[in-house]
Amino acid sequence: MARDLTLGQYYPVESFVHKLDPRVKFIIMTMYIVGVFLVKHMYGFIVVAAFAILSTLISRVPILSVLKSLKGILFIVIFTAILNVFFHKEGRVYFTIGKLLVTEGGVFFAVKMALRLILLVLGTTLLTYTTTPMALTDGLERLMTPLSWIKIPVHDIAIIMSISLRFIPILMEEVQKIMKAQRARGAEFDKGGLIKRAKALLPILIPLFISAFRRADELALALDARCYNATPNRTRYKKLKFTYRDLIALLSGISYIVLIVAINHRFWIPDLIYSIPFV
Amino acid sequence: MGEIISFKNVSFEYRSGENFHRGVIGLNLSINEGEFIAILGHNGSGKSTLSKLINGFLKATFGDISVLGINPSDDRRIYELRSQVGMVFQNPDNQMVATMIEDDLAFGPENLGIPRDEIVERIDWALDVVDMKEHKNKMPNKLSGGQKQRIAIAAILAMRPKILILDESTAMLDPKGRKEVMATIKKLNKEEGLTVILITHYMDEAVEADRVFVLNQGVITVQGTPKEVFKEVRKVKDAGLELPIPSQVCIDLISKGYDIPFVLTDEELVEALVEQKKRINSANKGGLKLNKT
Repeated sequence: MARDLTLGQYYPVESFVHKLDPRVKFIIMTMYIVGVFLVKHMYGFIVVAAFAILSTLISRVPILSVLKSLKGILFIVIFTAILNVFFHKEGRVYFTIGKLLVTEGGVFFAVKMALRLILLVLGTTLLTYTTTPMALTDGLERLMTPLSWIKIPVHDIAIIMSISLRFIPILMEEVQKIMKAQRARGAEFDKGGLIKRAKALLPILIPLFISAFRRADELALALDARCYNATPNRTRYKKLKFTYRDLIALLSGISYIVLIVAINHRFWIPDLIYSIPFV
Repeated sequence: MGEIISFKNVSFEYRSGENFHRGVIGLNLSINEGEFIAILGHNGSGKSTLSKLINGFLKATFGDISVLGINPSDDRRIYELRSQVGMVFQNPDNQMVATMIEDDLAFGPENLGIPRDEIVERIDWALDVVDMKEHKNKMPNKLSGGQKQRIAIAAILAMRPKILILDESTAMLDPKGRKEVMATIKKLNKEEGLTVILITHYMDEAVEADRVFVLNQGVITVQGTPKEVFKEVRKVKDAGLELPIPSQVCIDLISKGYDIPFVLTDEELVEALVEQKKRINSANKGGLKLNKT
């Protein structure tokens, strides 16, 4: 279980993507997500997918471990795809199952939505794989700095985020331990119906909560012992530098958006391509 | 070496609803700069309370405390105090704020507003002292318990404290991890001149200290050098503690009529027994009818 968990799991290798300024990565991520939602045609998706795959290749994170993050959303993807196929009616009818029509538009829409979900998760996973939670929160904090002028506790929010990311694997490990302990006492977690299984989780949740609170208590003391909030003039260890890498990354992010918009509006691209069915 | 911590008639009460629980009662103690102090006591003896009074986590109900000339009840100087009095806790996982070791070490100095260049220096120095240099830009989750606890110590060291309090910091570690941490603590005390206050319930750790305080139900019942303290067998046992194993062996032998000095460590015990053996042997040569083996 803990091994499958990808959220907040940093993949430590040296690469172009790893070395990018987290602020730049955030901006590019936003561009990427906007791009995913802007896409209208299948060719646009090729651009998005190419962008995601290229970034993954450059980041030297094994594509397989990035793909693993899809396991979690597989059910949602299939579920929404099925719903979309049957309930989105448009264009030529392929075939009917009872009263349900499967139309050209429906299939196209279902594929589009599925691709959107998958590409969305792939991109965001790459961000957490190539950026330490500390750098993530650091970058976010700096991007949000203007908010502190209107008295929003930006730094506290950043610390809360970084601590929650840090404790996810620790708590997952704890769940494993508690499950083992309960199994040793004869508990069964994978038998019976949905309700029975949900009930079996209760003896895991209670000790987990108790231990989480205990941890939080000690962590609070540890924060105090290290003079958290001692001075409003906190310094920063991590220097964020805007380098040529960031410039290249930003430019490629911009060209990505431009390309998608261009495809959407059929600029430059010969009409011939659009005459191919299913586009 | 001047006095660095002084307690004058200090009491602390925990309040829960209408009940009062005595944490510590009428403590008087004085700790000098550069000393290595061990505080021993059973669960609920008040040893953690004592440590939390030193860095202002708890405020004394009665009495006067002075740490580096600062009163820990003074909220205006609390951060000044805490940057000087570092505290390491039991569970190393619960003390790390950041996912990367260097970031975690930077957290304390950042909070204090130390300039960046100095933070860099401090991190390198602290990691060097605890002998974890090669782990600087790694994640802590693959480290052993002892290594994690050394990182936790380094994170405190990065604030350059004068006093280091270890609140049962070895309790969760395996024997190997305990040894590593103890070696680090001793190095800090001897080489870096830190005043160390080690709260523990392991007797073999207390033996290494310059002075030992034994707490029982909120009162210091015995204090002195380890030898002086563990000679008070009755009082140590009353506090719910055991003697270090070599001392126990030694006391059992004395009660069986052997004439050996009181010892604290394995090495001393071996030496004393060898000495005893030699005496018996030479007595044999003198014509007594004892076996040679």
